[in-house]
Amino acid sequence: MIYAVRHSTKYSYEAPVSASYGQLHMLPREAPGQLCRRAEVHVSPTPEVYRERIDFFGNRVSHFVLQEPHTELAISAASVVEVDDRSGAVSLFGERSWESVRDAVADHQVDYQISQYVLDSPLVEAAEQYLDYARDCFGPGAGLLAAVSALSTRIHQDFAYTPGATSVSTPLAEVFERREGVCQDLAHLGIACLRALGLPARYVSGYLETLAPPGQPKLTGVDGSHAWLSVYMPDAGWIDVDPTNDQLVNGRYVVTAVGRDYSDVPPMQGVIYTEGKTEALEVKVDVTPIDPDG
Amino acid sequence: MSTLGYRPPSGAYDEMLGADGRPRPHWEQLAEAFAELGVDELQRRRGEAAALLDQDGVVYNSYVSDGEEAAPQLRSWKLDPLPAVLSSHDWQAIESGVTERAELLNLVLEDIYGERELLRRGLLAPEIVFGHAGFLRACDQIRMGGPQLFSYAADLGRDRDGNVVVIADRSQAPSGAGFALENRQVISRVLPSLYRDAQVHRLAPFFRTLRAALQDAAPPGVEDPRIVVLTPGPLNETAFEHAALAATLGYPLVQGRDLTVRGDRVWMRSVGQYEPVDVILRRVDGVYCDPLELRPDSQLGIPGLLEVVRNGNVAVLNTIGSSVLESPALMAFLPRLGVHFLGREPELASAPTWWCGEREARDYVLSHLDELVLRPVSQQGGPSMVIGGELSSGTREWLSERIRSNPTDWVGQEMLDTSTVPALSEDGFEPRRALLRTFVTARKDSYAVMPGGLTRLQPEGGLIRVASTAGAVTKDTWVLASEPEPQAAFWLHSGPAVRGIDPMSSIPSGAAESLWWLGRYAERAEALARLARAVSDRHNEFGGSDNPAGVESLAALEAALAWLAGPTRNVAQPLRAMLDNAYAVRDQLSRDTWLVLGPLEGVIGELEAPLSAGVLPTRALTQVISSLLALGGLGIESMVRDLGWRFLDAGRRLERSLALVSLLAVTVQQARGIAVDSMLLESVLSAVESIITYRFRYRSHAQLETVLDLLLLDKGNPRSLAYQLELLSADLDALAAIGTGAARLAPEQRLVLEATTTLTLAEPAALVDENADGWRPGLADLLSKLSERLLAVGDAVDQSHFPHTSPSYSLLGPAGAEPVHRRVA
Repeated sequence: MIYAVRHSTKYSYEAPVSASYGQLHMLPREAPGQLCRRAEVHVSPTPEVYRERIDFFGNRVSHFVLQEPHTELAISAASVVEVDDRSGAVSLFGERSWESVRDAVADHQVDYQISQYVLDSPLVEAAEQYLDYARDCFGPGAGLLAAVSALSTRIHQDFAYTPGATSVSTPLAEVFERREGVCQDLAHLGIACLRALGLPARYVSGYLETLAPPGQPKLTGVDGSHAWLSVYMPDAGWIDVDPTNDQLVNGRYVVTAVGRDYSDVPPMQGVIYTEGKTEALEVKVDVTPIDPDG
Repeated sequence: MSTLGYRPPSGAYDEMLGADGRPRPHWEQLAEAFAELGVDELQRRRGEAAALLDQDGVVYNSYVSDGEEAAPQLRSWKLDPLPAVLSSHDWQAIESGVTERAELLNLVLEDIYGERELLRRGLLAPEIVFGHAGFLRACDQIRMGGPQLFSYAADLGRDRDGNVVVIADRSQAPSGAGFALENRQVISRVLPSLYRDAQVHRLAPFFRTLRAALQDAAPPGVEDPRIVVLTPGPLNETAFEHAALAATLGYPLVQGRDLTVRGDRVWMRSVGQYEPVDVILRRVDGVYCDPLELRPDSQLGIPGLLEVVRNGNVAVLNTIGSSVLESPALMAFLPRLGVHFLGREPELASAPTWWCGEREARDYVLSHLDELVLRPVSQQGGPSMVIGGELSSGTREWLSERIRSNPTDWVGQEMLDTSTVPALSEDGFEPRRALLRTFVTARKDSYAVMPGGLTRLQPEGGLIRVASTAGAVTKDTWVLASEPEPQAAFWLHSGPAVRGIDPMSSIPSGAAESLWWLGRYAERAEALARLARAVSDRHNEFGGSDNPAGVESLAALEAALAWLAGPTRNVAQPLRAMLDNAYAVRDQLSRDTWLVLGPLEGVIGELEAPLSAGVLPTRALTQVISSLLALGGLGIESMVRDLGWRFLDAGRRLERSLALVSLLAVTVQQARGIAVDSMLLESVLSAVESIITYRFRYRSHAQLETVLDLLLLDKGNPRSLAYQLELLSADLDALAAIGTGAARLAPEQRLVLEATTTLTLAEPAALVDENADGWRPGLADLLSKLSERLLAVGDAVDQSHFPHTSPSYSLLGPAGAEPVHRRVA
């Protein structure tokens, strides 16, 4: 599929903002099965400094410094991305047992970069309770892919997906106790379970095309940014799984950035100087299929 | 030596005495000299050293760790008068070993943030880097122009056999070099002849090298770099040292809020303008340096700094991210890394270290827990170090389990019985275990080591557990020169002349603000103390008396005191505020300032209680008056009339004006009959230190008209309002001339001019007129106009000169400051 992705954010401030420093993870990165044909970020008012770079994880980062006093800040990222359905190919690698993956990583038989995804990260501590929670899905000799799929199903069944139930500062332990959360939380939970088992897991942020209810036209601005997890399998590489929708990531997903957890890749980070508060925040995301022939 | 009864424990290496119980050759001369001086004399010298340290205001902030709110407490720096001594031979080995280690660590640091060949080829386990909180991914691929590791410190100990080993590496922002210099300055004054005769390597050249290295570190093409020292602020544990270092090097001491990123560069908010900054010597931990990319909750950093570093427009030293070298597991790999980079194992060994990520090492650690110190690599939330031998069997089991389930996070290190040195005790010399922190700075293509360093004594029966230099008893460390050193004074060095800094051009506006408030609070405290003393005199005269006029004047004075003292009604509040501001700008103040301010710390406790005529702490009040008088004198005699002085003086003048106007308003606006008024006026005159002048000039009892002449209008009286306004005006004129150079008056200048004109035009006769109720409308009107203008001057100065950074908010980010971005799906 080819998608046009538009992600616009508008902040309105109560009092003038004298300076604004921002860092964005909004441009789609390079990823297997994904080709970003073009992408650009637009910041308004026009910043004094705007620069793009590739970060430690290979993500595309935009950096800006805005010194003109302003009461509104609009940021939009627009891209055209071609994605393949990579879920089908995954099953070819699914036979390897989860223990053999764990041992290969512990013995440093994989790329050195992989090791960091077994360690705790700022928002994900692989506490014992996650090990207990996941254990049933990872029986002795179970295939990695089957076990991860079982874990995804389990999370999907046990946890209510409730928009607004949590904020970025809600600790994972609280999500676990309350049995509800949003996509970030469910991804973090899956990551915690996998790391507790000694398996490398990382966080993926991106977009998912939502379909209009049958018979109705799709409205604009209804799509959203999304998050899921990825597990590492030697030989196959990273395999993306979406516990929120309990499925392997397919051709309707666009990857923006990957990291150890959300804290490595927030779409927008910033520091502003102002006496007032942020009054309103408006976010619109559209993931629109483009007819390749049209 | 036997006369001093020094007996080191058997089985340990003693720095002074050899195995035969006789002083080692490099100690002979000193041991003899100490025996000659005797314990009593050495104790006297210790007292002298303590007094000198107090006078220099050498303190550290101690944070009591138990309890939620750890309020910092100022503690005196502890210095043993007996120096630790190293022979020229021993020193050469240490110097070359530490230099080699710095070079090796530099290569490791370069690799970790660059190619990561060491990880790729398995020479360094990835968990050691990735699991350490000091590895900052945002700093990946940032490459400094000079060495990646700029300054470094090694904590050294000597094992049983006399071999020097490294116990810890400090690469974040090593502290202690400034304290070492302070120790040297004190000991060389306390033991002058010993110091002279011993031919000790001097420390000044090290700081000269550091200065040159900072200049060299500037981005390419910068000829005369602007260099600043970045401190977390006066509440930091080692704030004294930051200021001392800044003053020694001659660079401004700044906090994060004094710097800002604009466009592609870092700027210092300086009074009246922004000045570009090329090099930042940081004493703020790396992760706090940029709230945009690192910790979003940091109030100590500069948003956007990292991107400027990335683009090579500013050098931050040490490089942000350098503390990854403190990963405790790294020591286990250094021998291998030495072979890889240098073709040999490093000369200087580390304390034996085992990383539990390797199976054999893990087995060893688990079976020798009692003999080891255990450290987690990640250090997230948990303790930074556990002493195996101190564990109960339950906790030992728990720890073993932790190590087994998460082996890559654990390191075991042998506990060394470090060597002993003689320290002065109550009745002689006692052996104390010691560590030496050595300091290293980049120099051209290699490193320079400070000859000596900071020797710290282990607490009795314990270990120094903190990385910081604060807290332990310290010693000056003497490296004996094998031949006399050529003298080279710090200020007389060859090389290109350094351009002088225009005294009116350069002061961070944060520092200017502190000096202004220092002046204001000093004056506020002094005015209050003087009034309290005048009230106390009246109380001694009329307290419990039945003289009606005396009793009424006392009551009026007490009411005035209560009114002027404000809500806390004590002197401690302004005094503490003054001291806080003084600590914030200690690099701007002369050393003698601490001679004057030091004693105030001792009496501040007595000044906490609300002032009340019956129970005034007379001794403490007298100390306040004499210290603040001396501070005023220092300001006049010892400070260059630079920008900073202008702010300090303007603050004093404004506050003195306000105090006088308020005092007159609450005492003499209302007539109370001749007898009471006369007594009140006398008290007012003595509270503003004009009583003697008055008596001398008018030779009569106090009369309102002449008192007002002297206190308001007489420009010859240094306590009069007219005099304050004249000086205030001069200060503000000088300040307004910076940056703008505009011919128009600044608001604060206009207000002072208005106040001066109002005062000059006042009709003296109208001021003393009373109406039927005894109210003096002319005087009341004048005082209220003056007070209104003066208060407005304060606000105007604030607006014109100080940084008005609005509060900063982290927009979004991992720590989740509201508002957050919408979260969908």
